[in-house]
Amino acid sequence: METVNAVLRTAFSRLEAHALTLGTAATALVLVVVFYYPVATVFVDAVVVDGQVTIAPLVSVLTSRFYLVDIFGFTAYQALLSTIASVLLGLPGAWLLARFEFPGRETLRSLTILPFVMPSIMVAIGFVATFGQNGTLNAVLGALGLPTVDLLFTIEAIVIAHAFYNAPLVARVTTAAWESVDASAVETARSLGASPVRAFRDVVLPQLLPAIAIGATLTFVFTFASFPIVLALGGFQLATVEVFIYSRIQNLAYAEAAALAVVETAISLGLTYLYLRYEGRQRASGQGAQPQPRRSLWPESTSVRSLGTRIGIVAYALVVLAVFVGPIASMVLTSLTGPQGGLTLDHYLFLLERQQTGASYQVRPLPAIENSLLFGVGTLLVALPMGVVMAVLTTRQFRGRAIVDALSMAPLAVSGIVVGLGLLRGLVFGIEVFGTRVQVTGALAVVAAHAVGAYPFVTRNVAPLLGNLDPRLVESARSLGASRVRALVDIELPLVAAGVVAGAAFAFAISIGEFDSTVVLAEGSTSYTMPVAVERYLGRRLGPATAMGCVLLAVTSLSFVIIERFGGRYGGRGGF
Amino acid sequence: MQLTLENVRKEYGETVALGGRDGSGGRSGVDLDVEDGEFFTLVGPSGCGKTTTLRLVAGFETPSTGSIRFGGREMRGVPPEERDVGVVFQNYALFPHLSVAENVAYGLRFSDPPGGESREGRVASLLELVDLPDAGGRNPTELSGGQQQRIALARALAPGPDLLLLDEPMSALDARLRERLRLQVKEIQSTLGITTLYVTHDQEEALAISDRVAVMNDGAVEQVGTPQAVYRRPETRFVAEFVGDNNVFEGRVVSSRAADEFEESRDSVAVEGKSPVETKGSEWQGERDRTADRPQRVELDVGGAAVTIVTENAVETDDRVAFCVRPEQMRVLASGSEERDSEPSGSELMDGESSRSRTGTETNVLDATVSGTEFLGESTRTYLRWNGRELTVRSTNPLSGEVRIGFDATAAHVVDLERGE
Repeated sequence: METVNAVLRTAFSRLEAHALTLGTAATALVLVVVFYYPVATVFVDAVVVDGQVTIAPLVSVLTSRFYLVDIFGFTAYQALLSTIASVLLGLPGAWLLARFEFPGRETLRSLTILPFVMPSIMVAIGFVATFGQNGTLNAVLGALGLPTVDLLFTIEAIVIAHAFYNAPLVARVTTAAWESVDASAVETARSLGASPVRAFRDVVLPQLLPAIAIGATLTFVFTFASFPIVLALGGFQLATVEVFIYSRIQNLAYAEAAALAVVETAISLGLTYLYLRYEGRQRASGQGAQPQPRRSLWPESTSVRSLGTRIGIVAYALVVLAVFVGPIASMVLTSLTGPQGGLTLDHYLFLLERQQTGASYQVRPLPAIENSLLFGVGTLLVALPMGVVMAVLTTRQFRGRAIVDALSMAPLAVSGIVVGLGLLRGLVFGIEVFGTRVQVTGALAVVAAHAVGAYPFVTRNVAPLLGNLDPRLVESARSLGASRVRALVDIELPLVAAGVVAGAAFAFAISIGEFDSTVVLAEGSTSYTMPVAVERYLGRRLGPATAMGCVLLAVTSLSFVIIERFGGRYGGRGGF
Repeated sequence: MQLTLENVRKEYGETVALGGRDGSGGRSGVDLDVEDGEFFTLVGPSGCGKTTTLRLVAGFETPSTGSIRFGGREMRGVPPEERDVGVVFQNYALFPHLSVAENVAYGLRFSDPPGGESREGRVASLLELVDLPDAGGRNPTELSGGQQQRIALARALAPGPDLLLLDEPMSALDARLRERLRLQVKEIQSTLGITTLYVTHDQEEALAISDRVAVMNDGAVEQVGTPQAVYRRPETRFVAEFVGDNNVFEGRVVSSRAADEFEESRDSVAVEGKSPVETKGSEWQGERDRTADRPQRVELDVGGAAVTIVTENAVETDDRVAFCVRPEQMRVLASGSEERDSEPSGSELMDGESSRSRTGTETNVLDATVSGTEFLGESTRTYLRWNGRELTVRSTNPLSGEVRIGFDATAAHVVDLERGE
């Protein structure tokens, strides 16, 4: 008995000693199976047609005027416009948040994280409800006696919706940079004779520009690969690469879709690489500064200048209300409005009715909710350990770390459509492994795709906190007899709990809102989620879609409350 | 448990964190032997490699080359958790989410308390040992720095380690607390008889607490010895200047003979400014291993002034010699502003002359100018300019203006010797 115990104990401690290595291997395996392999499948699809290696699909994409100008050109164009709009909308916000003191400032600051957890399809529905023919905007314009506009299926609608998502991002990173400008640097400049404007230009601005550049680059990356917004607001008339790939998939033109996906992925990866390199260089500088004191939002004097500033702030607040609150409010309003304009619960009754009488091939609300929650929990269980392992790895120094960083963050850069397509063509359709046909069914595939998309957010929430921990805590634990993994579990994780919880909430919320790969994987199966249901209902009338959107909003808001509770104050600063 | 380091070297890429160059310019490592139960201190300026050495011993880093042995057992490849070492860091590194008792008990999660004690009993007796018996239920952040450091010590000792490693444990504490705590640490160490490796940049602390001291500089060990030996007989110029206040002189041998041939040499005293030999600028190279059969009486030309020292080293005419004289060995013979605080013997002599004092030793006399003073309480440290160099002396009262100081030929200690051409 003694010996058995001893052997078991030895075996267990062996296992424990290598647990981190095992965790890394498991993470790598998951990444390979549900990310690198599927993406590779897409790449192979692009160069192998009917068993023959060919560059014809790629050549046809790269030589086609239609693809290069109408698709890629338009994609880049709308991304550029969206980036400009996001920076223009985000910068005043950063100024307001960094330089003014007012009640609710901290809350507003943490609210800027909200768009990240907003399901994109829900936002799209909100914008349809706002800008549509019978939308809120036209109702307001009509009430004011102004001519109505039709912004739906125009690039303006797409750009504004993208700004909704990305302006808060620009504001966040710029605010963080602004707050890390040391007041004494500005005071030194002033004491050396610089005017306030001059001090801003010479001292503050140079420290803001990198942050603005980071926000802008990230915005460009995101909007370049944006899918649901463009699908819902642009349709196939204003198709970006993503939307066009999706339409090719629906037409079963896989080689063409794959060729497009290869080119798109190459561009996205290039942009992300540039971003990560730039960000890495920036992160080293500017920490622990004494920020400049904030001004009160209410003017102390009634000089023309301070009055002008306040009028500007009020105008900005109105724009923010229109862009950020408008779509959500419109969605809620539309879900409660009947065809004749009266208040009604008809759309929610439709959901109930569909639930009770819907045919098996129809999308029913309750399974959608169940699936979403189930996939959310599943994603959490997979993405959390993956993200934590990656965070531990990225806070250590070792040879080849940059490659690991880049490989592990690649899921951020590769579009959900491409991953979804790869999963569909590979694991879902089934692959031969040693003569056995391995098939991953809908639900598993969806969770895998969500986990791959979500774990970088866990890593990004946990890694900075881990990096800030005193390495001597772990060293103390280890010299006291703890293995590396025990030190992680006993000491590090409890101390970075806020980041872990925030990361978990992110993972959950991202899974709940994920649309791109889900819509590909759920095609013709029963593993549809709430966002997919929203899109399916959108095909008919706006009402039921908005009602479903409101259900989605309720679930998402709950996730956000958790993020704000646990993570907002600790994990929400810097980065994104 | 005996700790042995043999030819240990640590490099990070191009940077050498530990290890130096041997005589022929090749790479060399650090050798150390710490005896069982010894309180052994690594002392040196920041960047000298002392903390790297401790981290290598703890297993946080792996030596690039060389061998570290615990009681003869090679430790390469043994992770920190299997080394049975207790580590105390400068910043305490207490686990902030655990109570004081949980901190102390943490190491007992992985091994049974020594001596068949219960876990609770072990924690209680350690808290007792560090004189904080009632702190168990408290949060580490509620404690003062000194209390946190004592808890860190208790935590490190709880599993009964073979080796205690302390990395600048007192540096974050104020002076008075530091002195009290180091007495306590020393007392606990000798009670437990645990082999201890202590790292500090504070040479005074190193002298006060250690059985033996290794003075480190630039990745290499300069000297290993008891605090007394390191203080009184520094082997290198660096040790002489790093450990305590010191006055280092450089001179050139004019003549040397056995110390008992003193009488015949009375007429060869050099007078300041009339140096018989020119000084050549060349680097000092240690050549300390040559000892004469009996003490040598050496006359030196120190920047033009004649100085006589008595040394065991065998020196020859034209050798370059660096020697040191502790400030407390320097006597103030005459001062414009102060009553003479030592016997006036030799005060009639000219600067650079020497005479036999009543005790039979020879006294060198230097006329210097006060450049600054620091009041230290029990004494005053006075900085002097003499012959183009700065000297330090201790006196009971502040000095100013011109002073005459003297030191015995036997008070000088040779720290560097380079053969003349």
